[in-house]
Amino acid sequence: MPEVLLGITGKDFTLIAASKAAMRGATILKAADDKTRQLNKHTLMAFSGEAGDTVQFAEYIQANAQLYSMRNETDLSPSALAHFVRGELASSLRSRKPYNVNLLLGGVDPITHQPSLYWLDYLASLAPVPYAAHGYAQYYCLSLLDKHHQPDITLERGMELLTLCADELKRRLPIDFKGLIVKAVTKDGIKEMPFDNDKVVKGT
Amino acid sequence: MPSPFSINGGACVAMVGKDCVAIACDLRLGLQALTVSNNFPKVFQYGDNVFLGLTGLATDVSTVSDLFRYKVNMYRLREERHIAPRTFANLVSSSLYERRFGPYFVSPVVAGLDPKTGAPFICGFDSIGCIDFAQDFIVSGTATDQLFGMCESLWEPGLGPDELFETISQALLNAVDRDALSGWGAHVYIIEKDKVTKRLLKGRQD
Amino acid sequence: MADRYSFSLTTFSPSGKLVQIEYALNAVNQGPQTASSATEKKSSSPLADPSSLSKISLITPNIGMVYSGMGPDYRRLVDRARKVSHTGYKRIYNEYPPTRILVQDVARVMQEATQSGGVRPYGVSLLVAGWDEGILPEGGEEGSRGRGEGESEGGEKKKTVGGKTGGILKGGPMLYQRGYFPWKATAIGKSATTAKTFLEKRYTEGLELEDAVHIALLTLKETIEGR
Repeated sequence: MPEVLLGITGKDFTLIAASKAAMRGATILKAADDKTRQLNKHTLMAFSGEAGDTVQFAEYIQANAQLYSMRNETDLSPSALAHFVRGELASSLRSRKPYNVNLLLGGVDPITHQPSLYWLDYLASLAPVPYAAHGYAQYYCLSLLDKHHQPDITLERGMELLTLCADELKRRLPIDFKGLIVKAVTKDGIKEMPFDNDKVVKGT
Repeated sequence: MPSPFSINGGACVAMVGKDCVAIACDLRLGLQALTVSNNFPKVFQYGDNVFLGLTGLATDVSTVSDLFRYKVNMYRLREERHIAPRTFANLVSSSLYERRFGPYFVSPVVAGLDPKTGAPFICGFDSIGCIDFAQDFIVSGTATDQLFGMCESLWEPGLGPDELFETISQALLNAVDRDALSGWGAHVYIIEKDKVTKRLLKGRQD
Repeated sequence: MADRYSFSLTTFSPSGKLVQIEYALNAVNQGPQTASSATEKKSSSPLADPSSLSKISLITPNIGMVYSGMGPDYRRLVDRARKVSHTGYKRIYNEYPPTRILVQDVARVMQEATQSGGVRPYGVSLLVAGWDEGILPEGGEEGSRGRGEGESEGGEKKKTVGGKTGGILKGGPMLYQRGYFPWKATAIGKSATTAKTFLEKRYTEGLELEDAVHIALLTLKETIEGR
């Protein structure tokens, strides 16, 4: 829950941000953790949840997405991947030991270049959304995004909104999440965005 | 509060009119009090005039709606005909009872017109498939209490398609306004002999 | 030479035949004669009590089945058909299967016996006749009902009306090699060819039930005579 996952769509991009802290109880084990996996050229998945489950599940999905791309010489669309992931998570939910993983799946359609973002929780509830968050970050960031987000924003404006969210999290989250890793999905692929995590935000 | 039926929230209602039926749902998807999405429809179409509304746990709403899409498509291929609402209702019932000891946490509603006679058909179910046939209206979801009150006071026999649209919309909109877990827009379907009208109601976004 | 390919059910002979399955079809022609949904009642021994002999069986209240070939095989198929009409249909949809669906289910049972290990094919041909509740609206010819019973049939006509299926008289004389398809009237068994020629002459569209029964009996009489 203290892990931060954020996602924002805009005119021609999807931004995914994830906190860099890898935590075990009250201890931070790593301050440069990457909680995202690339599924194919234009689909990125961010994950949070129970320690072992997250990476295991994400890499299982990643392997299957890549296998599909190799076999068919085509990538699955973000929508198809989202429904595939939901199916896997839903069958896991009613198994002996369900995966406890929450996900954001962001992408840009390889043909139409339409950006999309999917919100998925460990119960396998799937919702297509314009912007999303997981964990405590939802309570701080969704209201900000409700106010400031527009469907046709530029990448620069998207980054500004992420900074707005990060500032709010620094101000109000009681624990240090060690800043954000930010990645942008566009029609040209996925690239990590420079993000100023050293900015000091004063408390209220 | 941790009842699977009220984690995500949502409401659904179906009504009988004169030679027509209506089915409507809200669009909210939430996690307890937090709203995650205002674009999560709960009414699904299976063929020309067979509709299924599903409220309850969002994951099961998706799973069950997908399951019936598969089953109805297979039925249509095998029998080379569309499924009738009553047959579909029995399929829903038996499919849910198959999971008697590990149920899907959904409260389905079926609405449609009999393809042979054109007679309106609506019914509701509990999560293990017990059918509740009704001649007037069926409600389900976290706003059932409010919906019962609204339907009981607004519904009357023999409503035409336009009156039925007004009745079901007012019943749903006013019911969800008194429920914290549903609302955020609505879909309304009016089903007539050879016409289906789908309308999107914006509703209060709070 | 052919013997070398006649052991396994599923080994093709060089000429592309499945010999064992041909043998099963031959068994059909040893059996009693059946035309439409009428059938001859003749047992191998004069000592048998004729009232205990039954070859026409109800599968559902609206579907009947009759056979030519080996009696025990037939009775197993009747059991399977009755069972599958419930497990595969009535317990799911709370209504009985349309004739075509039931026929497909029975045909699957019979086909599986031609491709599985350790079994022999069923030595029977079946005729299945049924009456289905149509699902089309009333009006426009008798479009709402596909029907069956005897050889009277507007089954084909109904099909064209709405592009929907419905019950039709089904005949399964070629179940093994070719699958099944709907007939207006047909015959299986020893003198099936003669019986069918006879039926072709006598059959007309829109027969009344009484006339249909009459023609069926005439057909049997014609082909049985002299045996």
